Amino acid sequence: MSLLEIVDLDAGYGDLQVLSGVDIHVDDGEYVTIVGPNGAGKSTAMKAIIGIATCLGGSIEYQGTDISGLSPEEAAHNRIGYVPQTNNIFPSLTVEENLRLGAYVLDEMPEDRKREVYDRFPALADRTSENAGSLSGGQQQMLAMGCALMLDPDMLLLDEPSAGLAPDLVDDMFDRVDEINDSGTTILMVEQNAKEALRRCDRGYVLANGQNRYEDAGDALLDNEDVRQEFLGG
Amino acid sequence: MGLLQELIFGLVTGSYIAIAAIGFTLIYGIVNMINFAYGEYLTLGAFIGFLAANALPGPLPVAVIAAMIGGGITSIILARGFFTPINQTGPVPMLLTSIGLGIALRNAIRLVGGRSARYIETETSTFRFDAIPEIPVGSVDLLGGFFITSEHIIVIASAVIVFAAVHLLLTRTDVGIAMRAMGDDESLARVRGIDTQLIRDSVWVLAGVLAGLAGVLMAIQTNVSADTGYSHILQILSAAILGGAGSPYGAIIGAYVIGLVLAVSTAFLPSSMTGLSSAMAFVILIAVLLVKPSGIAGSEVREA
Repeated sequence: MSLLEIVDLDAGYGDLQVLSGVDIHVDDGEYVTIVGPNGAGKSTAMKAIIGIATCLGGSIEYQGTDISGLSPEEAAHNRIGYVPQTNNIFPSLTVEENLRLGAYVLDEMPEDRKREVYDRFPALADRTSENAGSLSGGQQQMLAMGCALMLDPDMLLLDEPSAGLAPDLVDDMFDRVDEINDSGTTILMVEQNAKEALRRCDRGYVLANGQNRYEDAGDALLDNEDVRQEFLGG
Repeated sequence: MGLLQELIFGLVTGSYIAIAAIGFTLIYGIVNMINFAYGEYLTLGAFIGFLAANALPGPLPVAVIAAMIGGGITSIILARGFFTPINQTGPVPMLLTSIGLGIALRNAIRLVGGRSARYIETETSTFRFDAIPEIPVGSVDLLGGFFITSEHIIVIASAVIVFAAVHLLLTRTDVGIAMRAMGDDESLARVRGIDTQLIRDSVWVLAGVLAGLAGVLMAIQTNVSADTGYSHILQILSAAILGGAGSPYGAIIGAYVIGLVLAVSTAFLPSSMTGLSSAMAFVILIAVLLVKPSGIAGSEVREA
């Protein structure tokens, strides 16, 4: 069944409309990627889900409930894990404090989740009381992911997780996303590394100019001559 | 007077400046405004403490607690009335509003309270240490006998308690960690589900409590008048900037640097130039900012 159902969405920031009539649906357990050129509105689609971008029309249903029009602090209670592309950690807080705030909307600190995050990202476990700003770029990205996982989310939104990572870390990052998906978490990911993302995902969307252009299985999009010519550089 | 005596005075001045500077810098870092009316919060605290000391039969701590509670309530009421409604307009309109609010409050206090200075009666014990040898260098005595009063000890001890309490609040409680998170990145704080208005309100209350305490300590140490807080606002501002605006730990360091520099320059400057000692704090401020624009503990230069 559909975990997330975005229908005919118009969204933007204030008076600036970025998306018009976008449809995206994500099934339970699926791994879905959104690709497209810069300025296509990929990140805006995610930001609409977690309340940063303003919904101007259409609807966003999560687990059968309309969540469009919520403020970010209200949307946080939907417990959708969200990893922004940049500024996704609090640099002057320690690793431990960042994880604690990842679970801020929960009534109590889920100690077992925290242990799982440290198990998944051992580099973080060694540096729990260091300021997050002192971590390397790759470790900061792990911490950002760890914060989102503190909610034990049914769905994880990843905005350009490979951006800013050293090339040898990109594969590792994609592997970790695969792992998280294999453990049952639904993934919706925006990626500029389109080929790799489409290879890994179940299904993909191509957005351009704030509108749906293509939707298909990841491999099918990779094989689609029009998509290759127009969006994947041949 | 010997240098040791001046250092005691410097520690005392640094202590109440530090308490106030923590509140000032938290407002700067989290609400993102320079609150020039903050000196008046101290004055109100001093008056509330003075009234409580006279009206209530209880001992001095009762007056101190009354000033802290009064300061917290005043701060949140003023914030709700004047600053929260214009929160989205940015730092400059909020700064200008605070300057205007400060002038209005100061004159209102003067109208109601009159121009004369008042004193909080306290029983003071003085501890003298006269046996310490003098090391005269020119006109300055580098050691020398000194005294410390029970009031000095109260001020310094209060500051130490405040530092510990603020540190625990900021590192051990959800609301404190949320405050620091908001200082880092307000938009990510909202994504995490932090109610930013609630945190801002908490900061206003905390800053008001600290202002009330600093004000009543100043009142005990010196006197209570309409200018009690205003006469210290530049030192508080300097301590906060010196330490790295937004950092409470930096503000503590900055406050003691300023308190000690004021005291030591009083000792070293010829008696005809002691008027310059208050300027020495700013000389230090300028020197530090030239070397490290983000302040002692600051990590970045914020844009206003």
